Amino acid sequence: MKRASLRNASWTLAAAALVSVTGLLVGCKKEVKELKIGYITEQTGAESYIAASSTPALEDRIAEINAAGGINGYKLKLVAYDTRSEVPDAVSVTKRMIDQDKCVAIIGPSWSAAGIPIAQIANTSKVPIVATTASNVNVTISEAGQLHPYMFRVCFIDPYQGYALADFAYKKMNAKKAAFLTDVSSPYTVGVHKFFESHFKELGGEILVNEGYNQGDTEFRAQLSKIKNAKPDLLVSAAYTYKDAGLIAQQMDALGLKVPFMGADGWYVDDLLTMAGPKLEGAVCTNGASTEAPEVQQFNKDFEAKHKVKPTIYTYYGLDALMLIEHGIKQATTKNPKIEAAALPTAIRDEIENATDVQLFSSKMTMEKDTHNPHNKPILIMQIKGSKWNLLETFDPAKQ
Amino acid sequence: MDLFIQQLINGVSIGAIYSLLAVGYALVYSVYNFTNWAFDGFMAFGAFMGFTAIASMSMPFWAAATVSMILTIVLSVGVEKLAYQPLRVRKAPRLFMMISAMGVNLAIVNTINKLYTGTLRRFPIPDSWTQTITIGQASIGQMDIVAAIIAFILLAILWIFLYKTKWGLGVRASSIDILTSSLMGINNNAVAFIIFATTGVLSSVAGVFFGIKYAVYPLMGGPVTIKAMIASIVGGLGSLPAAVVGSMILGVLETMVSGYISSSYRDLFAFAFLIVILLFFPNGLMGKETGEKL
Repeated sequence: MKRASLRNASWTLAAAALVSVTGLLVGCKKEVKELKIGYITEQTGAESYIAASSTPALEDRIAEINAAGGINGYKLKLVAYDTRSEVPDAVSVTKRMIDQDKCVAIIGPSWSAAGIPIAQIANTSKVPIVATTASNVNVTISEAGQLHPYMFRVCFIDPYQGYALADFAYKKMNAKKAAFLTDVSSPYTVGVHKFFESHFKELGGEILVNEGYNQGDTEFRAQLSKIKNAKPDLLVSAAYTYKDAGLIAQQMDALGLKVPFMGADGWYVDDLLTMAGPKLEGAVCTNGASTEAPEVQQFNKDFEAKHKVKPTIYTYYGLDALMLIEHGIKQATTKNPKIEAAALPTAIRDEIENATDVQLFSSKMTMEKDTHNPHNKPILIMQIKGSKWNLLETFDPAKQ
Repeated sequence: MDLFIQQLINGVSIGAIYSLLAVGYALVYSVYNFTNWAFDGFMAFGAFMGFTAIASMSMPFWAAATVSMILTIVLSVGVEKLAYQPLRVRKAPRLFMMISAMGVNLAIVNTINKLYTGTLRRFPIPDSWTQTITIGQASIGQMDIVAAIIAFILLAILWIFLYKTKWGLGVRASSIDILTSSLMGINNNAVAFIIFATTGVLSSVAGVFFGIKYAVYPLMGGPVTIKAMIASIVGGLGSLPAAVVGSMILGVLETMVSGYISSSYRDLFAFAFLIVILLFFPNGLMGKETGEKL
């Protein structure tokens, strides 16, 4: 009796196992396919505020999409890796995302020095990459003038910024003699300054001195003393990291160098104001999106309440890039629902290239097919007043 | 001429910060013959402790500076007990001590980064302290003067301690030969405590003043500690007055290169200077014969 019940029990077990295995197999068939999206970001190091303020936003957005059933049956997954703001790390995480994780599209990087080598990886591995704030021209177009077919960006490019700043400085701030303090290790700063110089000279202005520094420097007084001696009407330093702008402003004050100070969108991080707000009174910079805009206030409040971090422009640019990739996935899988996994990255690329009036987080966007830059993205010219960002005017390239 | 004076002032104020750290390197090197690469972390730790004491606990500056100093001493002595002493006791090669120091440094800096994030913070001192004094055409920040004076007072106290007290004699004896001196009855553990406690004080003061002069952030120690290291080698590793001289030379050289040649060449000159000095003075400008340098 005992033996029989044991045998019965084992049969029951075997049957249960069979049922569960079949169940698993059936489950596999029904399982929703998952697409991985890479995010090249800065989780540690001096720029770790970038990941801190953007990764949670991307994860929230992806959780929302997945909760609503995904895109045409595809669920999304974010794969974020740290670059430590080092180009070699950025290159190796990109390769890892493509070779090991098989990401169908990648968001980032946030800076041009990494964007330029990564564009090559995008081309050879045929995976679309959407840079967030890498604004040097050569990120999407090679030095030889060739378009990188798999590299895109959602920000405006340095010539726009340089041009807009020079225009504003000469016409509105009445500056005729400018001095530069250039981060010579940053293609971004060098690029903005180059285009500032060419438009500023075209208008009749002159550049008195061009002083340099290197990434990571904290001491600028030697250069600032020299600049003070040259007596310019304006100091331009389109620093990539807000740290430089804050330190330069502090040291200008310490040296008694009282001239208007101007930078570009690298400055636009709220921490700059807490760090050196009063020293930057009246300083001017540019931006593509504003954390002060009324339409993002609700988002900012919810985001800060949930994640205990203030959103930065990297939050908005990250979301813009993600939404552009979403658009690509949606179009590609709608047009061809049975698309093979291997063909997906290229199909997404084609859709991103043809994006027209797609609603992204910060604005509607049309991709320029010949440059892979957003078409006519307006530039906001901001001024720091009372330790707050203040919108001075919107510079619209379409109207120039 | 005005520009020259301004650049000289800039150079000396940088040299003062370098000298605090360079003396710390020299002190550890003179007794233990290894380079304490964890300085960078100690300095950031000191600055963050001072920052937290003021920003979160609203302590007055001098109380916060003292708290920072005590905590940095605890950290420095703790690191010595946990990471360096066991290696010394087991007679590990000195290279291992240096690598251990690098590991400690990474651990400290990354922990700070994780706890405080990489954001830059202004060291919370009253605005009236940050005013500048103008002499002719040259300007200098009040805090720069205070920092330089405190650095020199601290170094003078250290010098008196080392050369005029019995404990200092013990440290100096250990720096000649640690084994023999312990045979002569000098307490090795007490010497280690004195050296690493002093290192803690120096790096805390350097960290707090660097934080005031620039900003407080986890990677703040990186470039400046390397420069201080160069300064202590240029002066002559193992000698305290030499470390101060090396720091002043380096600080002034850097600003003069930035001011009169080009700031892009500043580091090139700093390192080329190191190489040239070592070619002609293998033990640094004022150094004693030390043999191998790590």
